[in-house]
Amino acid sequence: MIKKILLVDDSPISRRIMKSCLPKERGYEIFEAGDGLAGFEAYKEIRPDVTFMDLTMPVMDGSESTAKIREFNPEAVVIVCTADIQIKSITNVLDLGALMVMKKPPSKETVEDALSKAEKHIG
Amino acid sequence: MDYCLDIISDEEKEILQEIMNIAFGKAAADLAEVINIFVVLSVPNIELLNSQDLPSYLKTQVSEYERVSIVEQNFWGDFKGSAFLVFQASAGRELVALFGDNSDDFGSESIDALEKETLMEVGNILIGACVGKLSELLGDAVTYSPPRVVTENTHNDAIPTNIFESGSSAIVLKTVFCFNERNVNGFLFLVTSNDSILWLKKSLATFMEQYE
Repeated sequence: MIKKILLVDDSPISRRIMKSCLPKERGYEIFEAGDGLAGFEAYKEIRPDVTFMDLTMPVMDGSESTAKIREFNPEAVVIVCTADIQIKSITNVLDLGALMVMKKPPSKETVEDALSKAEKHIG
Repeated sequence: MDYCLDIISDEEKEILQEIMNIAFGKAAADLAEVINIFVVLSVPNIELLNSQDLPSYLKTQVSEYERVSIVEQNFWGDFKGSAFLVFQASAGRELVALFGDNSDDFGSESIDALEKETLMEVGNILIGACVGKLSELLGDAVTYSPPRVVTENTHNDAIPTNIFESGSSAIVLKTVFCFNERNVNGFLFLVTSNDSILWLKKSLATFMEQYE
């Protein structure tokens, strides 16, 4: 069951959009980080059930952060939410272990689908 | 320049930055579908300027290139302005190769024409997809002028000096990108003036309302 969600995105607006798309009635505990490195550090501390990860970020990009999180915990559920929808970028993060890739901007429906997929994956 | 700062708020700048990020991501994906290329994206930047400072701002931004090639295209709708796609001068030949044309088969005059056509094609895709997506996200639709291509010129000569009326303000949306395979770098500047600012503020608010 998903309880804790980590949002990793350098854009506060993008994080706000993502938060608004999460079903409020489920009472998720939501954490935020503003770049890939801060996201990795937050992951180690919080151990969220699901991490939503942007790709194009300063300090450390989302691909590297995903790789580090998955190296730290091979069972980590990372869902990439990005504007970079080039096939090569998508293939790369899926190869690094991301569960799925969503294109920006997210909607309540796409986020709901992603959470259902994550729930099934967690089991 | 300070008088510009209250034209749009920091939050509006952040929303615009995110929308530009989404729009250029779409443009990069469209280009990657047409030619075998991977576009390395960066975080976009939004600047507010006095229009008189705009040409010198653009020249400073691209000053790392001694000579440049530029694709310039104007767009009209509620969102109205100009797009400038700026490459270092050598990019034309690199891009010709990416389109699969062998420039060795052409005489020097034809190579120039081929470079110009290629830059125009890349400009059409990147500018069209980026401005189109940005307009779509903000509930607008725009039309475009035919692109103007200036190849291998100094940035002093290639960038127009009177982009908007003096005394007006300008919002510049800047994205830096790199075509990995060919080590081609470039800038995309979208510039909009006073005429679009009220519409822009309203549209940014409407965009965010759906996420409240």
